[in-house]
Amino acid sequence: MIASLPLAVRFARRELRGGLRGFGIFLACIMLGVATIAGVGSVARGMTEGLAREGRAILGGDIAVTLLQREAGPAERAWLAERGRLSVAATMRAIARQADGNGQALVELKAVDDAYPLVGSLDVEGGDAAALLAPADGIPGALAEAELTTRSGIAVGDRFRLGTGTFVLRGIITHEPDRLADGFSLGPRLMIGAEALAATGLVQPGSLVEWRYRLLMPGEPPDSAVEALGEAAGEAFPEGAWRVRTRTDAAPGLKSNIERFAQFLTLIGLTALVVGGVGVANAVSSFLERKRAVIATLKCLGAPAGFPVAVYLVEILVIAAIGIAGGLAIGAMIPFAAGSLLEAVVPVAIGGIYWGELALAALYGLLTALAFALYPLGRARAVSPAALFRDEVAPSRRRPATGYLAAAGIALAALAGLAVGLSHEPRIAAVFVAATAGAFVLLRLVAMGLTSLARHAPRTRSTELRLALGNIHRPGALTPAVVLSLGLGLTLLVALVLIDGNFRRELFGTIPATAPSFFMLDIQGEEADALRAFAAAHAPAAKLEMQPMLRGRITALDGVPADKAEIDPEVRWVLRGDRGITYAAAPPANSPITAGAWWPADYDGPPLVSFGDEVAAGLRLAVGDTVTVNVLGREVTAEIASLREINWQSLSINSVMVFTPGTFRGAPFTSLATLSYPEGGTAEEELAFLKAVVDAFPAVTVIRVKDAIETANGIVEQIGWAVRGASGVTLAASILVLGGAFAAGRRRRTEDAVILKTLGATRGRLVATFALEFLLLGGATAVFGLIAGSLAAWFVLATIMDVPFAFLPGPALGAALAALALTLVFGLAGTWRVLGARAAPYLRNL
Amino acid sequence: MAGPVIACEDLHIRLGTGAVAVDVLRGIDLAIAAGESLSLVGPSGSGKSTLLMALAGLERPTAGRIRIAGTDITDLSEDALARLRGEKIGIVFQSFHLIPSMTALENVAVPLELAGAADAFARAQAELEAVGLGERLAHYPAELSGGEQQRVAIARALVPDPAILLADEPSGNLDARNGAMVADLLFRANATRGMTLVLVTHDAALAARAGRSIGLSSGRVVEDAMPSVAVAGR
Repeated sequence: MIASLPLAVRFARRELRGGLRGFGIFLACIMLGVATIAGVGSVARGMTEGLAREGRAILGGDIAVTLLQREAGPAERAWLAERGRLSVAATMRAIARQADGNGQALVELKAVDDAYPLVGSLDVEGGDAAALLAPADGIPGALAEAELTTRSGIAVGDRFRLGTGTFVLRGIITHEPDRLADGFSLGPRLMIGAEALAATGLVQPGSLVEWRYRLLMPGEPPDSAVEALGEAAGEAFPEGAWRVRTRTDAAPGLKSNIERFAQFLTLIGLTALVVGGVGVANAVSSFLERKRAVIATLKCLGAPAGFPVAVYLVEILVIAAIGIAGGLAIGAMIPFAAGSLLEAVVPVAIGGIYWGELALAALYGLLTALAFALYPLGRARAVSPAALFRDEVAPSRRRPATGYLAAAGIALAALAGLAVGLSHEPRIAAVFVAATAGAFVLLRLVAMGLTSLARHAPRTRSTELRLALGNIHRPGALTPAVVLSLGLGLTLLVALVLIDGNFRRELFGTIPATAPSFFMLDIQGEEADALRAFAAAHAPAAKLEMQPMLRGRITALDGVPADKAEIDPEVRWVLRGDRGITYAAAPPANSPITAGAWWPADYDGPPLVSFGDEVAAGLRLAVGDTVTVNVLGREVTAEIASLREINWQSLSINSVMVFTPGTFRGAPFTSLATLSYPEGGTAEEELAFLKAVVDAFPAVTVIRVKDAIETANGIVEQIGWAVRGASGVTLAASILVLGGAFAAGRRRRTEDAVILKTLGATRGRLVATFALEFLLLGGATAVFGLIAGSLAAWFVLATIMDVPFAFLPGPALGAALAALALTLVFGLAGTWRVLGARAAPYLRNL
Repeated sequence: MAGPVIACEDLHIRLGTGAVAVDVLRGIDLAIAAGESLSLVGPSGSGKSTLLMALAGLERPTAGRIRIAGTDITDLSEDALARLRGEKIGIVFQSFHLIPSMTALENVAVPLELAGAADAFARAQAELEAVGLGERLAHYPAELSGGEQQRVAIARALVPDPAILLADEPSGNLDARNGAMVADLLFRANATRGMTLVLVTHDAALAARAGRSIGLSSGRVVEDAMPSVAVAGR
């Protein structure tokens, strides 16, 4: 006898002629998960490719060389000018205030030369940018983003003060071609001409000003030529502390954040797919249950045991392929649909078909379908042909053969392996995968526990409760399907709600209450004492803390160049760009020593440094190792004398590195200060102090912490919506699976209802019975979801985000009650109509 | 002389385990010659269907041996039993058990397709025409009457030209006219094609048409005679 794959395909085609009835939930679950993963992946790819494609415009040239706190010398400038067109811009934070001092705002100041922009155009409402920046009536012009008017009240045409200079706002910037490359900003852009910068008095020795030299190479050089010039620039002036960026990596921080966020959303999409897998398993089980007679018939007619499995596997794979194709079509359209929405974040065109991401999403969909279909298929293999003679009514509960379990396990392992292997942060992905698997196992145990409790519950006088408990533990009960589908979605929802709530509580509750009211930067040496006196006079109850501040870059770790050292990815940020450096004779009050020892107050030996302990651990540094930093072109190597604990959330002055006094003798520096009111400042106190200090010290940059937190709030809010959207997808998958589980059980429920009605049960009693059953199931699942979700949130907050955890009853219970309501609605939907129908038609067909 | 085409030797079948175990067949000895027609009769629970399933290789003996067409099937694997059924045994069920997603022609062709026959559909068409359903080749089971469905099922059982035809209450779900038509087809196949026919039935008239009747009670053979004798004895 020959029963081959082509024959199985032929039989599957005949089966498919009957349509896709019963596979609606299967298709929807696969489509939803695949569409999410395909959409997220495609958008992320679109954004990163857009960044690469528009690199020249985003960077403002082919190469950008950044110097901190100093301009390029003649030799450096000549080297750059020989290699293309050059444009120079200086950027720093400053305070712009109305001429009468009534309104002010922190701004991101940018002073540009005549060559700016080298690429793209600076679009301004009101005319030509260069003309508007030029002085008129002896007063230089300025351009700004519209936000400046909102925050400070300075409108177009108004005069305003910037440091010691006076300007006129002449236009509103609508498009700045290289805005993205500047990264995170605390205030609106304010642009002035380069020649007007000196008049502001803001650029002093030690001021936190960045000089960026953008170079546009002749013609259309390939990336390889740009990279080669970038390398040459890095080696041309090794003492110059040049930070070189090329157009191929114009916005590295943003690119990294996009990839990290996309990975997070992909993990959530995977969770939706896995939750949908439960729907797949339920649909396949129900389908194969209806095919038991056919399977038995084929075996009676001579089919080997594996043949019917092959037929239905082919059929299921075809249906899965339809679902995957639908999901890919939706996912492929998302970059086009989302392009306009995301332009504000990443102003590049992201529309396009990204085949790699679509292929990966298809693979995830296929593996999910296989992993969850193989178990019921394996059980179907064991259907006995004798079933045709016995008219068996109870579904087989035998475990499938080992081969099917192994194959399903391999598919699941492949799914997990892909998720972890392709993740930006494999450790977090592995934790996520393990937690999802653990939740599955736990929910299975919860379902078994519920079933056992219901079976062994003491007999009750309430008929409704007795029937409800019977429905929970009888063969074929919905208990496992409901608990699994609802439990997973609810656990994820509770976890995200608590993480979001605790993070906001910390960011907008705890931190503002304990954080300083102001940060003050660029305090020149001679201003320090005056500022102390000013604070004592204008805010006598407040506490002023001040420390010297330099900027430097870590160039070597214990003798190993920083770009070659092996470090934990979580601390890569320390080596990226410049860090705040300070020196002190006494240890910081809020940063206890955890290893080593502090130096004596009168220490005058070789340079020593005290390092933040968590960062040191990430950099694989210990007491006794050395660190080399480059400050204003000078390399300094210091031995680590001690490690300190740093509480970043306090927002007090914290430095990763504190050096011994004298290490940077002769280097220009400014001071950094914080001002803290004892009970946290009121808005009136703070705004009054802000106005006064800005008037008295125009060159000092004053940042009101509450304003900065509000800016952060806007970003967190946007991220929050994206996360809620992604978790909504998982919840949608749970709802689909729940709906499918209830739909699959509706026929039996209907038969039960009809028979009970025939025996004298009223509609009200039947509704009460069903409602009790759903409330018990939903309630038990909600309790699990609350506990598991809270544990997951605690783990993430405590070990990854380093934020204290508190159970927030409002959001968490709200999510749980919503889940309970969903269970009731889906469970009772359709049953009510049946309860009102006449019994005879159903009895004839039972 | 060739041996019996069906032979059971001290056949015992116990179903279930422990306290719920039931001895359904208790020491059945049976020999059926090629070309015989035999009816299995007895009250409900006597073991008729179980014996039929055992002969089809669908139920494993707890003790004893079964030989079908010269092959000892007692210890054969599941797939070997399936191959045997495809080649040597045709089964007709009370509930027809046609595959709903296949046409009448496709249903009849299934055993031949499973065996890899190149002319499966030609032979299936010939078989359907022989049972009077030449006009119904493209109809699905839902489009056929009960009698027509059973005739399709008979055609499917006959198409591989099996040595043995097993029928479990073949007219149980049919009216008298269709039941008689089905009986005619089965006994014609026995007479003209030499197939050994074993049928389980509660219908005395149908049982009487068989050349031999075996009565079962509580899992044992209590009667083995010519049907007219068996009926008279009852």
